[in-house]
Amino acid sequence: MIADILTGALRSGTSVMLASQGELISERAGVINLGTEGCMLAGALGGFATTVWTGNPWLGALAGGLCGMLLSLIHACLVLDRGANQLASGLTLMFFGIGVTAFLGRSFVSEQIVGFNPAPIPVLSDIPVLGEVLFNHDPLTYLSMLLVPALWFVLFRTRIGIILRAAGEREEVLFACGVNPRLVRYAAVLAGGFLAGIGGAQLSVAYTHSWVENMTAGRGVVAVAMVIFAAWRPFRAMLGAYLFGAAQALQLTVQQQGLPISPYFLFMAPYVLTLAALLIVERRKRSSVPEGLSRVFAADADG
Amino acid sequence: MENQGSNGVLLRTVGLTKRFGSLVANQGIDLAVKAGTIHAVLGENGAGKSTLMKMLYGVYKPDEGEIYMDGRPVTLHPPSRAREKGIGMVFQDFRLIPAMTALDNVALAAGSGWRFRRGSLRERMLEISAKYGLSVNPDVPVWQLDLGQRQRLEIVKTLMAPNVRLIIFDEPTSVLVPQEVRAFLDMLGLLRKDGFGILLITHKIDEVLACADEVSVLRAGRLTYRAERDEGWTAERLVSAMLGERTPQPVTKRDRAGKRPTEEARRSGHPSEEVPRPEPRFADMPPEALSRMEHPSEETSHPGCPSEGPGEVLRLENGAIAGDHGELVLESVNLTLRRGEITGVAGISGNGQRELAEALCGLRRLKRGTVTIGGKPVAGGPREFLEAGVACVPEDPLRESVVPGFTILEHMALEGIPLRRRRMGIDWRHAREALEASEEARALNLAEAGRRADRLSGGNVQRMVLARALIRRPRVLIVSYPSRGLDIGTVHAIQRQLIGLAESGTAILLFSEDLDELFKLSDRLMVLFGKRLLGPYDPAETDAFRIGERMLRGETA
Amino acid sequence: MKTEADLLPLSPQAARAVGRLRPARKIGRQIFVFLAPFVLYGLFLLYNGVNPWELYVSMVRSAFGDWFGFGETLIKATPILLTGLAAALPARAGLINVGGEGQLAIGALLATMAAVWLLDAVPAAAGIPLMLFAGALGGALWAGVTALLKVAGRMNETIASLLLNYVAVFLVGYFVHGPLKDPHSFNWPFSPEIARQLRLPVFDGTRLHIGFLLAIAFAVLVWLVLAKTGTGFRIRVLGGNRIAAERAGIRVSLIYAGVLLAAGALAGIAGMIEIAGIEGRLRPTTGATYGYLGFLAAWMAWNHPLRLLLTSFLLGMIAVAGNELEIGSGLPSSSVHMLMALVLFFLMGGARGRKA
Repeated sequence: MIADILTGALRSGTSVMLASQGELISERAGVINLGTEGCMLAGALGGFATTVWTGNPWLGALAGGLCGMLLSLIHACLVLDRGANQLASGLTLMFFGIGVTAFLGRSFVSEQIVGFNPAPIPVLSDIPVLGEVLFNHDPLTYLSMLLVPALWFVLFRTRIGIILRAAGEREEVLFACGVNPRLVRYAAVLAGGFLAGIGGAQLSVAYTHSWVENMTAGRGVVAVAMVIFAAWRPFRAMLGAYLFGAAQALQLTVQQQGLPISPYFLFMAPYVLTLAALLIVERRKRSSVPEGLSRVFAADADG
Repeated sequence: MENQGSNGVLLRTVGLTKRFGSLVANQGIDLAVKAGTIHAVLGENGAGKSTLMKMLYGVYKPDEGEIYMDGRPVTLHPPSRAREKGIGMVFQDFRLIPAMTALDNVALAAGSGWRFRRGSLRERMLEISAKYGLSVNPDVPVWQLDLGQRQRLEIVKTLMAPNVRLIIFDEPTSVLVPQEVRAFLDMLGLLRKDGFGILLITHKIDEVLACADEVSVLRAGRLTYRAERDEGWTAERLVSAMLGERTPQPVTKRDRAGKRPTEEARRSGHPSEEVPRPEPRFADMPPEALSRMEHPSEETSHPGCPSEGPGEVLRLENGAIAGDHGELVLESVNLTLRRGEITGVAGISGNGQRELAEALCGLRRLKRGTVTIGGKPVAGGPREFLEAGVACVPEDPLRESVVPGFTILEHMALEGIPLRRRRMGIDWRHAREALEASEEARALNLAEAGRRADRLSGGNVQRMVLARALIRRPRVLIVSYPSRGLDIGTVHAIQRQLIGLAESGTAILLFSEDLDELFKLSDRLMVLFGKRLLGPYDPAETDAFRIGERMLRGETA
Repeated sequence: MKTEADLLPLSPQAARAVGRLRPARKIGRQIFVFLAPFVLYGLFLLYNGVNPWELYVSMVRSAFGDWFGFGETLIKATPILLTGLAAALPARAGLINVGGEGQLAIGALLATMAAVWLLDAVPAAAGIPLMLFAGALGGALWAGVTALLKVAGRMNETIASLLLNYVAVFLVGYFVHGPLKDPHSFNWPFSPEIARQLRLPVFDGTRLHIGFLLAIAFAVLVWLVLAKTGTGFRIRVLGGNRIAAERAGIRVSLIYAGVLLAAGALAGIAGMIEIAGIEGRLRPTTGATYGYLGFLAAWMAWNHPLRLLLTSFLLGMIAVAGNELEIGSGLPSSSVHMLMALVLFFLMGGARGRKA
C-alpha cells in the first residue's frame, strides 16, 4: 500500500511538479504567475487535441508546452510591457484559460487516446519496491525527474542562472552589468509557461488519457504555492509536488480499501496539506524570498 | 573628426546637457580625463554630479553634447555600450545582490557567455584583490559583508570587467571611516600607476587636495572651475567655486561647560540665540486637543524617576537584538538617555544602527534585556513606545514614513497632531489649524499642508517627518541620519531644531555617519562595534580620529 | 544618498509618459481599449458560426430592453458587487483577498444550514435577518482561516485564500452529498428547498429580489467607513505603507484580521442572497466564479467601493450575455469568461502608469 501511494505520488504529482519548476524559473526572475493554472489547462487541451489529431503523444507534449507558453506570453506582455499588476494579470489569465479551454475543448470531451503509458525501465524496475516506485512510469515523468537536477545546475552553477536570479533580486544591478532585465524576465515567464503547459499535457496525455473541462482543478495554484513552500529551490519544489501527489494517491487507495471516509475530505486533503506545508515554512526566517518578488507582494493591491 | 588621442585623453565631453522636465541637471559640461590620472569632480549634493556620471556610464542619454573616447565620437547609452568601451563604475550604493555570494556577483558583472568557470574566476578575483589590496572573501553572501568590504568587492568587480580603462567612483569615501579612507586613496594611487583613468566624484575637498591630478567643480549643474594640480589650487578657491556667493551659516556648538543646565537655567534663558526657545505648543487650543499628548508631556515636565540617575529618561539594560535573518546583531547593550541630552551614536554602517533604533521604537522585539522609560518597563510594539513618549525619525523617511497619495496634513495626523472626532469622521479642519499654528512646522519651513507627501523632495520629506516628531514634544527622540543627502541649509535648520528640542528637555539618541555632525551636536558619544555599544565618551575629550579608531577596531585599539 | 532625482517633480519615465498622451490620443486609446476585446471576441464567435453583432445587440437589449432583462443583470451584479467589496476592502489595507469564491460558498452553506435546520418555521421578519447573519458568519469564518494564517502564521494571504477556495468547494460538496442532502432528491446532490417565507421579496414582473439594494447599501457603507472614519484612515495608511503604519502605532494584525473578517462576511452575505434570492437551495455549484468576478470587478474599479457599482454592473451584463449565448447559440456559457478576460486584459494593457 505504501508503494502504491508512492507510485501514485509520482504519477499524479508530476504535472504539478513540472508546473512548479516552471513557476520557479519565473519567480526567480521576479515574476509570479498565478495564471499557471490557465497555462496548465491550455497545455492539457493543446496536448490532448494534438495527440488526437496526430496520434503522437510526443507531438502532443510539445504542443501542450507551446500552448502554455502562448498563454504566458499574455502575462509577460501585460506585466513587463504594460506594467500591470502581476497578481491581477495572473488571475485573469487563469480565468481566460478556463474559459478558452472549456469552449474549445467541447468536442474533445468524449475522445479517446492511447497517449503515454508507463514504460518500465528494464532491470531497474525489477528492484523490489524502489523499482516499482521510481522506474515504472511514462516517459514524461522520467524526463521531469531529469529536469530537476538540470534546473538546479543552470540556476546555481551557470552565468545564465546568475543572470536569472539577479533579475529577480535587483534589476538595476543587472542593468548596470549591461543585461536587459526585461528580456531575462520575458524568457523566464515564457519558460515557465512552457513547463506548465507540458505539465498540463502530462495530466491529459499521460495520466488520465482524457480531457475534462477544468481538469487541472487548482493544480496550477498548488504549483505556485509549492514554489513558495520550496523557498525557490528546485529539489524542494519537487518534494512538495510529490507530497501533493501522494495526498491524491492516498485518496484513491483509501477508496479502494473501502474505508469509511467521505471522499470529499480526501479531495480536500491535498489542498489542506499544501496549506499546512506553507504554514510550516512560513514560520522560518524569510531570507530566501527574491527581493523583486517580495516587492510584488508588498506593493499595495491597488492595482 | 577630432583628434585628441595624442595627449593621452581617454574621454572627452563637449557641451553635455541633461534636463529632467523643467530642471536642468547638467548644462554644457566639458570634461577631459587622461589615462593614468585622477580627475576629481567636486560639488555639493544636488550640484549635478550623479547625473553627469550616469551619462558617462550610459544610464542616462544626454540631451545635448558629444562624448569622445580616444578622439572618436561615441554613444554610451545604454550601460552595456559604456562597458564595451571600457568604462566601469563604482556606485555609491553599490550594484551588488545581497542574496548572492561575492563570487556570483563577480561572475554576473565580469563574466561573459552563459557558463562560468568558478575556479579560474576565483583565481583572477583573488589575484586582483591581492594586487590592489582589496581583500574580499569570494564565498560569503554579500549581505554578510560590511560596507567597506562591499565597496572593495564592487571595485574588484569593476576591475575584472574586460578591457576596463576608465573607472568612475561615485562618492566612494562616504561609506568609509577615516582609517579606511587612507587605504582607499593609496589604492587609487596604484590604479593610476597602472594607467587607469579615474574619475572621482566627491564633495570632500580634503580628498581632492590629497590625491587628484585635476579637478572640475560643479555648481547647480554647470562647471564653475577647472584646474590641474600644478596650476596651484587652494582649498579656499575650491570652496568658493563649489558654494558660490553663499557662505554657510554654521550651527553654533552647544556650550559644553554648562552641559547639564539646571532646570532654572533652562527656563530662564539660553546661551545661544541661534537656538529657538521652545514654547508651549498648544497653549491657545482647547484642552481636548491635547488629550493625545497629555500622557507624555505631563511626565516630561516632572523629570525622571528618583530611583535612577539624575534626569534619566530611558534605560536599555543588557539588550540583545536580532537582525533580519535571525542572527544576533547586538548582544548585551547598555544605554541610558538623559533629559536634555543628545547622545550620538557613531559606527560603520551595518553595525546594528538600524536594529538598535528599531528596538527603541518598539519595531523590533528584544531577544533579551529590558527597556525602562521614566522608571517603568516598556515592552510590546510601537504603540506602547509611542504612548511612553518615544518619537522616531527613521533612516529612510520616504520608505518608512511616507504613505503614497496622502497629504502632509494626513501625515501629520498620523503621529504628530492629535486627531479629534467630528460626528462619525475626523475633524480635518481642526487638525489643519493645529498644524498651521505649530511653531516647529514654521521653523522647519514645512511645505503646504495639502500637498502630497510622496511628491516632495527628500529634504522636504525629512523636514516633515522631523516636524511631526517635534510637534509631539516627545520625552525621547530616536533620530537616524537626519542630514543624509540634504543641502546645507536644511541640515542647519534640522540641527538647530534638534538642539532646541534637547534644550526643552527631550532625551535624544542621534545616529549619524557624519562625525562632524556627531561632534557638533552630541553631549555624549557612543560607538557601535562588534555587537556592542561602546562608550559613552565625552566629545570634549576625544577626537574624530580616536572615534574612528573605535569604529574600526573597538576598544582594544 | 538622495540625488538630483529627488528634486524632480516627475521621474523621467513618468514625464515621458505624460508627454506621450495628448488628449485626443488618450480618448482614442480609451475607445480602443474598450472596443478591442469585443471585436476580438466577435471574430472568435464568427469563427464558431455565431453572428457577433446579433449577440451584442441582444446582449444590450436583454440588459436594458425591458425590466426583466435589467433585473437579470442586477441579479448577476449583486453577488459580484458583494464579492467585489470583499476584495476591495482588504485591498485598501494592502491585502489581496482572492478567497471571495470560498467565502461565498461557505456563507451559502451556513445560510442554508440555518434555513433548513433551524429557521424552517420562523417568520420572515426574524428568519431572513437570522439567515443573513448565518451567511455573514459563514463567510467570516472562512475568511477567519485566512486571517489566522496571515496574522498568526505569517502566510501570504493571496495563496492561502486561493487554496482555501478549493477546500470550500469540497466542503460544500460533502454537505450536499451527505448531511444536507435533500431526502427527496432522487440522489441529486442538492439541499432541501428553504421555506417559502425565507425567500427574499421579489419585484413584480422580474426575478429581481431586494438583495441588490442590500448590496448597494453595503457598498455605500464600506465607502463611508474608508473615506470618513478614523478606522478607514488607518486602513488606508496601512494599505499605503505598512512600515509607516507600524511606526505610527497602528495595530497591523488587528486591522488585517478585521478587514478580512469583514470581507468574508460580505462575501458570505452574497452566498446567502444567492440562496434566499435565487436558488432556494444549495447546489455544489452555487455562486461559482462570482468570487473571481468580484475580484476582477474590484480591480477594475481600483478598489473604490462606489466605482465598483459600475464595474460589477458591467460584468453582470456580460454574465447575462453568457446565458444568452448558451440558450441562443449552443455555445457553453463558460466561453463568456473569455470575453471578460479579454476586457480585463485590454484594461490592464491600457492602464499603464495610472497608479504613479
